[in-house]
Amino acid sequence: MDILIIGVLLGGAYALMAVGLQLQYGVARIMNLANGEILVAGAFGAFWFFTGSQVSPLITVIGYAPVAFAANWAIYRYLMLPLVRRSKSEGHLEVDSILATFGLSFILVGVMLALFGGEFFSYSFLEKPFDIMGQPYEQNRLVAFLYAAAFCVGLYVWLHRTRMGLTLRAVSVSPEASRRVGIDVAGASALAFGLGGAITAAGGGLLSTFLVFDASIGIIFTMKALVIVIMGGLRDIRGSIVAAFVLGLTETAVASLIDPGLTLAAAYVVFILVLLFRPQGIFGRRAT
Amino acid sequence: MFEARHISVAYGKHRALEDVSVTVAAGEIVAMLGANGAGKSTFLKAVAGLVAKDAGGGVALDGREIGALPPHEIVERGIALVPEGRGLFDDLTVIENLTLGAYPRRARASESENLERVLDLFPVLAQRRRQVARTLSGGQQQMVAIGTAMMSAPFMLMLDEPSLGLSPMLCTELFRTLARVREARVGILLVEQNAKQSLAIADRGYLLENGRITGEDSAANLADDPSVQAAYLGAASPA
Repeated sequence: MDILIIGVLLGGAYALMAVGLQLQYGVARIMNLANGEILVAGAFGAFWFFTGSQVSPLITVIGYAPVAFAANWAIYRYLMLPLVRRSKSEGHLEVDSILATFGLSFILVGVMLALFGGEFFSYSFLEKPFDIMGQPYEQNRLVAFLYAAAFCVGLYVWLHRTRMGLTLRAVSVSPEASRRVGIDVAGASALAFGLGGAITAAGGGLLSTFLVFDASIGIIFTMKALVIVIMGGLRDIRGSIVAAFVLGLTETAVASLIDPGLTLAAAYVVFILVLLFRPQGIFGRRAT
Repeated sequence: MFEARHISVAYGKHRALEDVSVTVAAGEIVAMLGANGAGKSTFLKAVAGLVAKDAGGGVALDGREIGALPPHEIVERGIALVPEGRGLFDDLTVIENLTLGAYPRRARASESENLERVLDLFPVLAQRRRQVARTLSGGQQQMVAIGTAMMSAPFMLMLDEPSLGLSPMLCTELFRTLARVREARVGILLVEQNAKQSLAIADRGYLLENGRITGEDSAANLADDPSVQAAYLGAASPA
């Protein structure tokens, strides 16, 4: 029961960071390996405002969303778009963007090391217990979960009920058909990339309320987000959300039943099983 | 009035189109006939801005030059393409496809009227509005493709092999539909392998061979031309 609840609570925050990556990969078609660094930057932001000026991370993650959006939008517009323009095929773009964002991740790690140093950091926010069925859990985990859930539901409704959301889904389904109905695909991609980055940063801010971070930990979160997105299928955020819970539960179960050192290994075992038996993702559709 | 002047396209060293000029007036149906690989699809894509044109050519709509614009701006000015193989948003519903058709700012004011008109033209789409496009039959998908193009309130509609894969009955229905679209003063450029039916509804026609225009005449004259009959109408000798 313990495992179930902690796993689900962890899955909520994972869902948010994965949905961010999914928007970047599914719509803008950039496999962003610097995604984890954006997440860590979000965590640093929440930490900084909380320890410096006692601002609740719940306010900070919304407050810095426009900044994160603008930064990621600029990354797409000035760094990725030239690659998109010159690439001859999706495969070509994938290789280029993976290499470019991999490089970018080192730059971001370096900048954060220079700014904040190499120490681990954490802060205590809402470290009060609350009871679920007689068992005490930390409030910060529950609040982060509820926050992430609200973000995910909001995003889902936005994607499915508004013209702009429909536009992003259209680009994700077919850039070529999108161009033909008059969608500015580059503009929509930049929007999705910026939005995805802002969501990932928010996910980082929420995770920082109960996890310990350092400047170079981003790569682990990139890998986790990647596992979730590929497990869930690229086209539907519902798949990522479910996959995030699968990962959260698996990690929690392995950490508490076997050994905490094995969590990342366990995540990859699940990932490899999915790749072997359902390569299109749990909810993905086989390519025709 | 739609005018494409001196359009040339090269894929690497391969010259796909050489100095092709085509005009279509408002409310006119123009057929473009040519064998596979003659450059018909390339021409349509070049007009839509989806493949690069060589310098020296131009595309104008009502006298305004639009040839150098990016694809989404060309749609915004009123040129819609229904590509070969339909090119739908496979994973989206019928109504989402049609809504996306009305993406150009120019089309949004008249979106609900256009939707009504499209559903009136294709009543079956109204019943299937929540169905995902890839689960429709080939004929229904073609209706979605044409409907999506019409949702953009185009002045000029270009269709690439719209009858491909349709049953003869659906084909006839499709051509009847195009004749009704024309009544809204939309110019139609029709690229077809079904030369007989397309010449039957067209006003004029062009012949395209190896990337060049080799003939231009009224549709009636083309249909009577023995060489056209031999090449495109499958007739061994004039009846």
